[in-house]
Amino acid sequence: MSEIRTLIVDDSSVMRKIVERSLRQAGLDTMVVYEAGSGTEGLDLLRSKQVDLILSDINMPSMDGLEFLRQVRAQNLAPGVPVVMITTESSEEHVKQAILAGAQGYIRKPFTAEQVKERVLPLLTAA
Amino acid sequence: MLNGVRNAAIARKQAGGNDGMERKMAVSLKESVQLVSDPRHLDGSVEEVFQMMLGVACARFPGPVPQEEESVTAVVGFGGLLSGACVFRSGSSTAIKIAALMTGMEFAEVDDTVKDAIGEIGNMLAGAWKGKVPDLSANCGLSVPAVITGSNYNLHVQAPEFQLHHFYRFDESSFEVTIVCDGLQ
Repeated sequence: MSEIRTLIVDDSSVMRKIVERSLRQAGLDTMVVYEAGSGTEGLDLLRSKQVDLILSDINMPSMDGLEFLRQVRAQNLAPGVPVVMITTESSEEHVKQAILAGAQGYIRKPFTAEQVKERVLPLLTAA
Repeated sequence: MLNGVRNAAIARKQAGGNDGMERKMAVSLKESVQLVSDPRHLDGSVEEVFQMMLGVACARFPGPVPQEEESVTAVVGFGGLLSGACVFRSGSSTAIKIAALMTGMEFAEVDDTVKDAIGEIGNMLAGAWKGKVPDLSANCGLSVPAVITGSNYNLHVQAPEFQLHHFYRFDESSFEVTIVCDGLQ
């Protein structure tokens, strides 16, 4: 797979590293990773960088992942770019909210690298 | 401390723009205390989080956890149908080992990355635990984790609705997890 530019948004630096490692284990070993510690940082990054994939936590202080995603779509910052939400929240209602906000995928924490592969790679192939 | 974290969870739940909130608040867990407080939910959540995120088999044991000079505690508040908190606590050596397994890095002390890792463990335990009961999963919000380090402190909650307090170990390391419920709607 060609080099994928990925934005990972999570207030936890540990989770950002784990998500990156899982993506590399899933076969995206040559990807370029941009990290953001909040939704606001993520929006700023998208104003200056082009990306092919966004993975975002939901439960974050100040701007949560759903608001981040709504802003991404409202400001047309990453048109056509698949967004996958990664979160501890797993109810149908939360999944529905994420999809309504514009997410294409949803991964529940805790997760395995295999689950990341199953949910992310088809989105990149489709894009 | 618990009040602050719990209030944060309630505020996050209310700010979530949940259009089905009124409908869902008609759901009640008052009659389901036994289901919600089933100790197997907590055991299953701990095993799942440690197996998937650290790659280790974790099992409950009678305790106690050996005391260390410094301990690390993560608190994640619940708000909504259930109010309370999920509290993870271990000695510093176990916290360092958990962070090392999660990140593949080595740590000599409890630094910000170790605290971050323990906060995430608390977050995932709280999420996995509430996910075991569908009504709870959909109607209970989580606060962002608060992490406390230090020595010689105790967790005290006045007259909770119920409380689970379990000890677990993996390899030679051990820790404790407490679920405190001080309100159930």
